[in-house]
Amino acid sequence: MKINTVTVIGANGTMGRNVAGIFASFGNAKVYMVCRRLVDAKEAKMKAAISVRAEAINKNLIPKIYDELRECIMDSDLIFESVTESFEVKKYIYKLISDFVKEGTIIGTGTSGLSINKLSQSFSAKNKKFFLGIHMYNPPYNMTLCEVVPSEMTEKEVIIKVKDYLKNVLYREVVEVKDEPAFMGNRIGFQFINEALQCAEKYKMKGGIDYIDAILGGFTGRSMPPLVTGDFVGLDVHKAIVDNIYENTNDYEHLTFILPDFAQKLIDENKLGSKSGEGLYKKTIKKDGQKIFDVFDIYTQEYRPIRKYKFEFVQKVRKNLLKGNYKSAMDCLINDTSKEADICMQLLIKYVLYGIYITKKVGEDIHSVDHVMATGFGWIPPLALIDAINCVSSFEKEVRKKMPKEFLETINLEYLLKDIEKSTYDYRPFFKAK
Amino acid sequence: MNKVYVLGGAQTDFGRNWTKEGKNVIALLSEVIDDGLKDVGLTYEEIKVLNNEGKIACFMANFIGEYFINQGHLGALLTEVNPAFYGVPSARYEAACASGSVALDSAISKIISEDYDVAIVVGWELMKTVDSKTCGDYLGRAAYYSQECEGIEFPFPKLFGKLADETIKKYNLNEKEYLNNLAKISAKNYCNAKRNPNAQTKKWFMNEEQAMNRGTDTNAFVGGKLAISDCSQVTDGAAVVVLVSEKYLKKNNLSNEYPRIKGWGHRVAPMIFEKKINDNKDSNYILPWTRQAVIDAYNKAQMTIESIDFFETHDCFTSSEYVAISAFGIEKPGEENNAIEKGRTSFYGDKPINPGGGLIGVGHPVGASGIRMFLDIYKQVARKAGLYQLEKANNGMMLNLGGSATTNYVFIIGNDRYNT
Repeated sequence: MKINTVTVIGANGTMGRNVAGIFASFGNAKVYMVCRRLVDAKEAKMKAAISVRAEAINKNLIPKIYDELRECIMDSDLIFESVTESFEVKKYIYKLISDFVKEGTIIGTGTSGLSINKLSQSFSAKNKKFFLGIHMYNPPYNMTLCEVVPSEMTEKEVIIKVKDYLKNVLYREVVEVKDEPAFMGNRIGFQFINEALQCAEKYKMKGGIDYIDAILGGFTGRSMPPLVTGDFVGLDVHKAIVDNIYENTNDYEHLTFILPDFAQKLIDENKLGSKSGEGLYKKTIKKDGQKIFDVFDIYTQEYRPIRKYKFEFVQKVRKNLLKGNYKSAMDCLINDTSKEADICMQLLIKYVLYGIYITKKVGEDIHSVDHVMATGFGWIPPLALIDAINCVSSFEKEVRKKMPKEFLETINLEYLLKDIEKSTYDYRPFFKAK
Repeated sequence: MNKVYVLGGAQTDFGRNWTKEGKNVIALLSEVIDDGLKDVGLTYEEIKVLNNEGKIACFMANFIGEYFINQGHLGALLTEVNPAFYGVPSARYEAACASGSVALDSAISKIISEDYDVAIVVGWELMKTVDSKTCGDYLGRAAYYSQECEGIEFPFPKLFGKLADETIKKYNLNEKEYLNNLAKISAKNYCNAKRNPNAQTKKWFMNEEQAMNRGTDTNAFVGGKLAISDCSQVTDGAAVVVLVSEKYLKKNNLSNEYPRIKGWGHRVAPMIFEKKINDNKDSNYILPWTRQAVIDAYNKAQMTIESIDFFETHDCFTSSEYVAISAFGIEKPGEENNAIEKGRTSFYGDKPINPGGGLIGVGHPVGASGIRMFLDIYKQVARKAGLYQLEKANNGMMLNLGGSATTNYVFIIGNDRYNT
């Protein structure tokens, strides 16, 4: 499939402009960047080129306003809609473009969780065949995951061609997923973050937010702890995602999608995270330029300095990872009997099991979950984590040993662990000695 | 003369930043040695047995660990990787960016002389421990530091920028056309690296236009006429190869169809760049000692350019790959542009250079690069290069440079079925 011209609608948003950069660079496509105001479109163009570190793509980026939408659409082989996450707004845009989109033009939406089937209903039968979800992760230059989400009406041939284009031209890690709320990566990733938030509330007397982050640090297979990630994403965005999943799904992890009260309170006070200067953490820059990081203490409801927790198991794991002794590191993690090691292992096991549950439900195959978590979040892929645990024990044995009876009764472990394969990812780079 | 075979090897993903992972040199070495041994089917127990017989040694390449990680006595570090290395002869070899080659050279000599049957040759560098300016300064020790580098920001891009200037001058080239050809080299190596899962730049974007767009915010000048797109990037990484004698193959019932080292050359040019240039007055070649190292390798192997199917060259900068084209004999000196413009050195060309991405595409952890190039030649000849496997790869040549093309090392590796 040759894509010469693309229209990005809503190119002033972070995703819109960054995705425009991907089409214009790797795809070498002419990209119309449609915004409400030309000044915004021009700024988005500049930022799009910077996002792929290549000013040479400027010639491919053309700032446009909605008044010119008709000409842009008529000239395009692919339309990428990236307007606000509102069903009504998207419906309005689809109605606007429906009259002049030519047959055969691919229409992709960048929605991170709205139903593709429902959105598809805004189109005529002939356009429905060419409509699908193209969900990239931010920033797409670093995070190569692209979830492709067809509707029931998307033509098979279109799915194949779009996937091929995204994989071989745009160098995306493409995973086709079913049209389920939050698709795949966000459903698994935000389950983990939200449960970490719930645990922070549960263990608020022990320290809460920084206590949980110290238990789930880089040594558990991620670049940054989950609540630092949540703060980076923004609590408002986090809430939108978990609320959507909570309202529209009902699986065994249903209750773990409930946003804790303290997080709602922070949102109400506009303490959204790093983008608003304070959230779960707070950054203060002193007069001499020194940066001070504080954490929100759920118990006192005030910010306080981050504590330097010294859990013995964490120190042992890190010491082994420092020298690349992964087996001993896993041994220290699995066989420690402290409360903190238990919390850590339970959350990691839940992450793996939920990942497998979701991949079996919405993924292409068992490995989809690994691609999604590695290239969308940079977290250790679930199957790779099983491989790491299997080096010193058996994952199944650890699940039965570590997880509470009530939890085991809610899942079908036999079904989840059936047909598990070795990961195609190497677990070693994911474990940080931090 | 005894034959030396390449049993296999491994490299780390050069996209990784080990400082960000919080891991040290032992983690790096453990990982690459584990993977390398797995690749060749050698166990730590077997290493112990070989060591009891006095038939195994290790050769460690590194440029400047003393600066980057405050560690010397590097040859002894393997004893921290596994107790199987207790008692195994091991030493560090250094020749700046050609450290890998000097380690290989020593290993090859020791197998030819029948001192050892198995040589583990590992190269590494951890460079992300410091900021880029400090790193640039450390690397200045690969030239004559007090005279050519002290107090100069990023001295090496400037030295290879001078090579670009001298190339234009010597062959009276059209500057614009020459620089466009350098941009083509850059774009080719980035493109090749897209097929290489261990490449530092596998996710990065680069095309010819961006590479030509020098002097912009996203492609700033770094050394004379050269910009970021003309440079290989520093990174962390390690590579290992295992070399064995013919006796070892026979003893272990292994076929002698393993790739073999057929020829090599080693020449040292004047250390100071200006003296190098003064030294080439009577030669058609801008780097006559580089050319001589290539000729030595051809002679040793009794081969000519016609028998070499592909090349790995030391594209620390695009200007060094440009001159390598004539040094290899692909084109006459001054006519290197022909090969680039006709696509002869591209992945699908008749004389591909750097099919896995080269230093520009794969990354340049200085002490590891020589071994990485050697490993990539081995992989091509053994048909184990995966997505970057060339169709025709019976004999390959590598050129590894140290300093400003001061140390010049060339190796030819090939399959015994194709000796001419």
